[in-house]
Amino acid sequence: MAFRDPPGPATTNTKDKGIARVSQNLAVTATGLVKKFGQRRVVDGIDLAVPAGTIYGVLGPNGAGKTTTLRMLLGIIEPDGGERTLLGHARPREASDQVGYLPEERGLYPAMKAREAIAFMGALRGLPWGVGRKRAVELMENAGLGYAVDTKIRKLSKGMAQLVQLLGSVVHQPDLLVLDEPFSGLDPVNQENLEKLIRGEQARGATVLFSTHVMAHAERLCDRLAIIAGGKRRFEGTVNDARGQLPMQAHYTPERDDPSIAGILPADARHNGHEWIFSVPDGGIEDMLRLLTQSGHGVAGLSIERPGLHDAFVKIVGAKALADAEAAVL
Amino acid sequence: MAAGALRRSIRQSLTVARRDFIATVFTPTFLIFLLSPLLTIAFGAMGGVGASRMTQSVIDRSKLVVLTAPDRAAAFQAADAQLRPVFDRGDAPPPIEFKLPEPNQEAQARSLIGSREGDVDAVLYGALDAPHILYGNGAASEANYLAALADQIVRNDRIGSPAPLSKAVKTRIAQTQVTVGGHGTAAFMAVMAIFLLTLFLAGLTIGTMAEERNNKVIEVLAAAVPLESVFVGKLVGMFGVALLFVGFWGTVVTQVTSLLPAGMAAELMQVAPAVGKPMFALLFLVYFVMSYLLVGAAYLILGAQASTQRELQMMSLPMTFVQMGMVGLASAAAASPGSTVALVAAIFPFSSPMAMAAAAANSPSLWPHAIAIAWQLLWVSVVIWLGARWFRRGVLKSGSGAKRSKGG
Repeated sequence: MAFRDPPGPATTNTKDKGIARVSQNLAVTATGLVKKFGQRRVVDGIDLAVPAGTIYGVLGPNGAGKTTTLRMLLGIIEPDGGERTLLGHARPREASDQVGYLPEERGLYPAMKAREAIAFMGALRGLPWGVGRKRAVELMENAGLGYAVDTKIRKLSKGMAQLVQLLGSVVHQPDLLVLDEPFSGLDPVNQENLEKLIRGEQARGATVLFSTHVMAHAERLCDRLAIIAGGKRRFEGTVNDARGQLPMQAHYTPERDDPSIAGILPADARHNGHEWIFSVPDGGIEDMLRLLTQSGHGVAGLSIERPGLHDAFVKIVGAKALADAEAAVL
Repeated sequence: MAAGALRRSIRQSLTVARRDFIATVFTPTFLIFLLSPLLTIAFGAMGGVGASRMTQSVIDRSKLVVLTAPDRAAAFQAADAQLRPVFDRGDAPPPIEFKLPEPNQEAQARSLIGSREGDVDAVLYGALDAPHILYGNGAASEANYLAALADQIVRNDRIGSPAPLSKAVKTRIAQTQVTVGGHGTAAFMAVMAIFLLTLFLAGLTIGTMAEERNNKVIEVLAAAVPLESVFVGKLVGMFGVALLFVGFWGTVVTQVTSLLPAGMAAELMQVAPAVGKPMFALLFLVYFVMSYLLVGAAYLILGAQASTQRELQMMSLPMTFVQMGMVGLASAAAASPGSTVALVAAIFPFSSPMAMAAAAANSPSLWPHAIAIAWQLLWVSVVIWLGARWFRRGVLKSGSGAKRSKGG
């Protein structure tokens, strides 16, 4: 697959009526969403606000409530409490023709040809069959799958079938694209191409809402994100906001390393090969450097880095909660 | 519901229906399905021929025995020649065999009846004005025939000749007028036709949800289209298949009927509905649609609850028994027009279409059909509405439901 690079980011888009209408608004909102399965509150009062035209990530460990939240937002299942709007509609079904959706459990009719499968998904969202077939060919050619246009789904590889379904979710040029764990099952090359497609959809003017538990994709793609765990929202903001939850990390390599150095470094300092890693103190690092120099340890190397989203995610969710959540779904 | 929402709902249902129709019809297996009645007819014909040959074999071995002196055998043969033409070929009594009477005729007759070499249905012995006739199981008619033979010989003896005393002039007239019996036959045929078509075609719907489950397409559908529209779409799609099937076989039957010999065609002319053939055809179609929608929706509900092929089969069996009960009720209604049973069958929703098709064959009144169709439409709406709700519950709690319950 070789998706074309997206055009430059769209600042305004007046071509599509729905997009124009919500461009200054929120594409998706949720207030106090609750869903119970039996006695368990799988989603427990989640609030979301997805600005129109952004790429928004819903991050969380397995079993956090991501899929259930997306299903409630789309109106596939009804919440037990709370409210939500989708493209300005209080009843999500009213906006379904302007929404594209790739569910976590991929599924297509095996006997359908790829072109028909894409056109069918468009037709479900109100796109005429003829237009859908024509766009299906264009989309597949852009994705480097032009040779498989008339191939039946059962003869495609799992990854190719997944891409066909993805193309089916954008064939009607939705104002909102909702992708549930879109990167799972794709090889690294196709993951990169999928990132291009997502950016392309944003450039077209669409809002993209996707769930993932892989931080790297979220870090590269998301304008904003929400982190949920145990059915609750733990964080909402930009990637930088999330990373800002942790102090800057210093990577220090002394000229002379010995046990006495630990008494000078902060309590969270940990040895990693020749270097020490620790959080930059609130008052800055200058006083500590002076002490290290005076004590003869010297400075062979020093870098100060912002923590990655993964570290922020672990801190926000909590290492124990993360382990518990992972264990709960096994 | 706003006009726009209704339009969208219809469009979504038709999209699902179109997919299901094409996926069913444009496959090689549909040809087998379409021609499957031929297999039924072929196996039925083969079974019929076999059973007929067995029956004929038994008949061919059967015989009647008369214990009489040789000089009276000719009188028996003459009387037999007089009486035997009364019977159709298949109903004629067995041939007569003559044996010399032994001193103990009763013992001889009992021996013949009880012989393992057997197939002696009845034995006549003694004086012809008071003959003794012994007969075996199920051979009372044969005994009567021997009695009639004896009586005929006595009559012939009295007039001194076996020649007929009168000679009739027989002229065959083709009867084309419809009889009450013809209405009844049409009523029964209508009941059976709706039953068989519904049993055959409505059952198609039960497997359609299994397809979505297995392919995991259900969430794609559920996200884009209300499940109520999926439900209606599937019903409509399979109804299209049913209409194609009925249209094909309707045309075949019409053409075959036009090729029948004149005598058989004339007999068929007597089998006619009381409301007239065009109106009956229309009412039959309407009642078939009602029956299909009611039973198809029920099958679809069952299909949505099942998650494996085994569960599907187990769930469809009780429904088949319910249909058998309904056809029994409707058949009783067809046989007794105007009775309480007929009224009950017409009111009960699942038997109503069959019972009212039978009523159209039995009675020329049209106003009951207006009421029945309205009543059935109401029930179709109720069943589809309830079905869509149960369908939603059944579909959404299965398949990916396990993952869903984990809240992933």
